[in-house]
Amino acid sequence: MTDPYSVLGVNANATDDEVKRAYRELARKYHPDNYQNNPLADLAEEKMKEVNEAYELINKQRSGGGGYAYQQSSARQESGPRSGSGQGNFAQVRNYINAGQIDQAERLLQSIPQNNSGEWYFLAGSIAYRRGWLDEAAQNYNLAVQLSPANAEYRQAANMMNQGGAGYRPRQYSSGMDAMDCCTTMMCLNCLCDGGGC
Amino acid sequence: MFGYVRPMKSELKLREFDAYQAVYCGLCHTMAKRYGFLARFMLNYDFTFLAMVLTPSTDQPRTCKRRCPAHPFKKRSVCLCDDGFEVSADESLILAYCKLKDDVADKSFFRGFPARIITIVLRRAYRRAVANRPEFDATVRECLELLQVLERSNSASIDRTADTFARILSAAAPVSGIETKDRALGQLLYHIGRWIYLIDAWDDLAEDARTGSYNPVSVRFDGRPEEHRDSMRVTLKHSLNLAASAYHLVDFGCWSDILGNILFLGLPTVEEMVFQGTFPKRNRIIPVWSGEEKYFRN
Repeated sequence: MTDPYSVLGVNANATDDEVKRAYRELARKYHPDNYQNNPLADLAEEKMKEVNEAYELINKQRSGGGGYAYQQSSARQESGPRSGSGQGNFAQVRNYINAGQIDQAERLLQSIPQNNSGEWYFLAGSIAYRRGWLDEAAQNYNLAVQLSPANAEYRQAANMMNQGGAGYRPRQYSSGMDAMDCCTTMMCLNCLCDGGGC
Repeated sequence: MFGYVRPMKSELKLREFDAYQAVYCGLCHTMAKRYGFLARFMLNYDFTFLAMVLTPSTDQPRTCKRRCPAHPFKKRSVCLCDDGFEVSADESLILAYCKLKDDVADKSFFRGFPARIITIVLRRAYRRAVANRPEFDATVRECLELLQVLERSNSASIDRTADTFARILSAAAPVSGIETKDRALGQLLYHIGRWIYLIDAWDDLAEDARTGSYNPVSVRFDGRPEEHRDSMRVTLKHSLNLAASAYHLVDFGCWSDILGNILFLGLPTVEEMVFQGTFPKRNRIIPVWSGEEKYFRN
């Protein structure tokens, strides 16, 4: 394994507190919630594992130092539609999507009649999302919710689209644009570019 | 590429600002060295971003002092001699040239005249760039052809039209063979490309309405895009979120903070300006040159 300190991005002589803080920040960054449905979810999961192992190792080395690694929820976070549920062909489409075989998933889905089924639109949305076609994904998820309002999975997907996804924002950039009032906007505009001609 | 991808200057540290400027100058020098003096005029901020993404991560940018025609008296520090710059210079030239070619085809003889002259002047440079990056050139032409088909059929899908440009940008990263890096860079560039395309489409709404040209955003929202401002902002935000999630998975070394500034501060600010209608309209023919001076003064 590589040096656990470099994984956490701290010096080998950092205090326990600094190590803990660095670890927490990284755990926040690669938290599965930030990568739900994200095509890169598996990579984030690997990073998370690496960070956890490094933290545990440092704790062990410094033995007696308190603190345990962040525990991942017992069920593995799915990086796409839950597999296996739904009947026959739909289940197969889900498996294709989860395996990243988007073209196959689409071909199979196109061969299944729509029949105003929420599942069909949900899967069409998932395929579009995997491609980065966010507008189409949102439209399909919303249709799925309209057709099966009771389904929690569809609603969750539609909500995520309405919020514009999730993401970790490093602290140093948090002087946010998120809730920007008029004055700060004007200030920012001045900073960005001196206007005219560029 | 249109010059939307820039950092927020006030939030850059001085050394980051110097590094950014050195990248800009370095790219300009690289283009001149490889493709002659005129190629410099094809440079813009978007390609600077690309150069930073493609340059192998090191702890410190490697710079040297150089003079150039724009700064004949004082030597400036310039970031040079990296593969990332050469790739970025080649790709910038190919993309800029193909875009100009497109403009020539789209416009009337007189309106397309300046673009036509530039394409003639740059033809030889373009051929050399194609010899260096044949696969990238093939992707660019394939995607732009597809875009033309979509435009002619008056496509109502902002995803499919944006996809053409997004795919061009994600093809800009050469395959390194490291799976994590390739996938993450692919997604980062794809969504930056999607964002650029859609922001540009929104920025062009008024002009396209005036000239009657095709605009994907206008068609998507049945000619009333103003009423759907919010859903447009949501989809743009989502693309930036997906780009950021990819950014976190790659180690960009000394470029990390500048790229973070661009992603988390620069792009949202540009977006805000475009939606408020305060983003300065650029000269479409010569992307940026004079802009650089104005931008860095102050």
